[in-house]
Amino acid sequence: MATIVLLDDNIRVKVSDGTTLRKVALKTGASMEFGCRVGDCSTCVAYVESGMEYLNEKSEKEHKVLQMLGEDTRELRLMCQCEVNASEGEVLISYRLA
Amino acid sequence: MIGAITALSDSVFFTGVFDPKIRTFDIIMKTANGSSYNSYLVRGSEGVAIMDTVKKEFSEPFFQRVELLCDYEEIKYIVLHHLEPDHSGALVELMGRAPHAKLIISGRAVMMLKGIIKEDIPFEVANTGKTISLGDKTIEFLSTPFLHWPDTMSSYLHEEKILFSGDVFGSHYYDERLFDDEVGDFSYAFKYYYDHIMRPFKQYVLQALKLYRKFDIDIIAPLHGPILRTNPKYYLDKYAQWSSEEKFRKNEFGKKMFSVFYISSYDNTHEMAVKITEGADDIDGVIASMYDLSSLDENTMIDLLEESDAVVIGSPTINGDAVKPAWDLLSCMAFLENGGKVGATFGSYGWTGEAAGMLHDRMRGLKFRLPTEPLKVKLIPTEEDLESCTGFGREVAEIMMGKMVEMEI
Ligand SMILES: Cc1cc2nc3c(=O)[nH]c(=O)nc-3n(C[C@H](O)[C@H](O)[C@H](O)COP(=O)(O)O)c2cc1C
Ligand code: FES
Repeated sequence: MATIVLLDDNIRVKVSDGTTLRKVALKTGASMEFGCRVGDCSTCVAYVESGMEYLNEKSEKEHKVLQMLGEDTRELRLMCQCEVNASEGEVLISYRLA
Repeated sequence: MIGAITALSDSVFFTGVFDPKIRTFDIIMKTANGSSYNSYLVRGSEGVAIMDTVKKEFSEPFFQRVELLCDYEEIKYIVLHHLEPDHSGALVELMGRAPHAKLIISGRAVMMLKGIIKEDIPFEVANTGKTISLGDKTIEFLSTPFLHWPDTMSSYLHEEKILFSGDVFGSHYYDERLFDDEVGDFSYAFKYYYDHIMRPFKQYVLQALKLYRKFDIDIIAPLHGPILRTNPKYYLDKYAQWSSEEKFRKNEFGKKMFSVFYISSYDNTHEMAVKITEGADDIDGVIASMYDLSSLDENTMIDLLEESDAVVIGSPTINGDAVKPAWDLLSCMAFLENGGKVGATFGSYGWTGEAAGMLHDRMRGLKFRLPTEPLKVKLIPTEEDLESCTGFGREVAEIMMGKMVEMEI
């Protein structure tokens, strides 16, 4: 199983391949924010501090929405568009405004 | 009749409109003294920029003002600091009249533009650092999101030291004299606007202030109410103070606030509340307190919620629902920033017991962190029930204090 660490809420959760981050939020009760849930509004933007390689690839649309935020987008993801794509590894995520 | 044109400087003019009759704004705000939809025209050696438009019904006086100041052919840029309809209402018409105008919006506005303006219009995106030139005038953009729409930006006119702040520093206050040193006392409207519009976004306010303070500002030109030119720093400092009050208290006491809000008819939910509070208060660094919802007014609710790091709500189930004061409490969250507060719910019930679960779901919708399932007790709590209440209080408090939670799903 892969491990997701939600740094802002001090939650470490083991999940199986294919688990969506929406589900992780729901099951852990984490304070991750969602808005539209379809990748339009960027409310759910988060920093993946490490372990990006254990998540699914960004779609064209996610790239586009992230670019509009005008920041370096390499470590950013929209949580509503993410799922775990690995059966091991650790992903560190933070979503609270610095 | 539009009256004389007001000039902010040799090259910046007011093109906004007045709405003295409005009494309720955006459904949620009272505007006892009416309001204004401010717009500004900036003239440079190589063209004109229009900073925001107005509410659609007020297009006519807006266009009259613009026409007194320039030819439509001269308009090089139209800047929308955010897309809210009270400032974008005349945009399509203006784009139609100004053949060479380029629309400037923020990155976050791109996905919203189609929802506001039902046709394709060309635009250019501005994020922090982008500048546009009108020859001898340079406008620099600052990304100041969520104040109060996600797409909000601000801009700064270098040569005149004017900050176009969007809705930030606005007031719903109608007075055609316009400048802060000439209008009546609008301080109540300035504070009311902050409380209702900006308070939920304090962290974003603080970030925006950091950007603003990099500039030498002579005039703040907001989108509603008086133009602030007497001592702009005073207004920046007010926003800074209001946005950091809560942090100040937290930093001074160095403790976390655990608030138990309850309501109870036969004392059952109350007894649970007492034990939850005791349990939480046992944990180092926690100040746990109880509040009876039946005697809190809305302003007190808002202040208490804002201070609380954990919000724990107890209600009995009455006719298949939680009782109204509990919902009223949660509806106050609309005025606040959540910022990852911990939440939990509990309550005594008779036969169906929906209340705690319904409150829990609502809190999830409000983006609380909810580490526990709702705690329910059938009718009068037993000794054992009361022990689990103490444990519940401890657990939620420990998590509020940062205990690592490990799980598998
Ligand atoms: C003060 C204020 C706050 C708003 N907050 C939100 C919000 O949090 N999420 C959202 O999707 N829309 C938000 N909106 C946008 C409104 O939902 C949108 O303008 C809607 O079309 C208004 O519908 P109505 O014409 O029926 O009033 C907000 C609008 C205002 C004026
Ligand atoms: S929730 Fe809107 S982009 Fe993810």
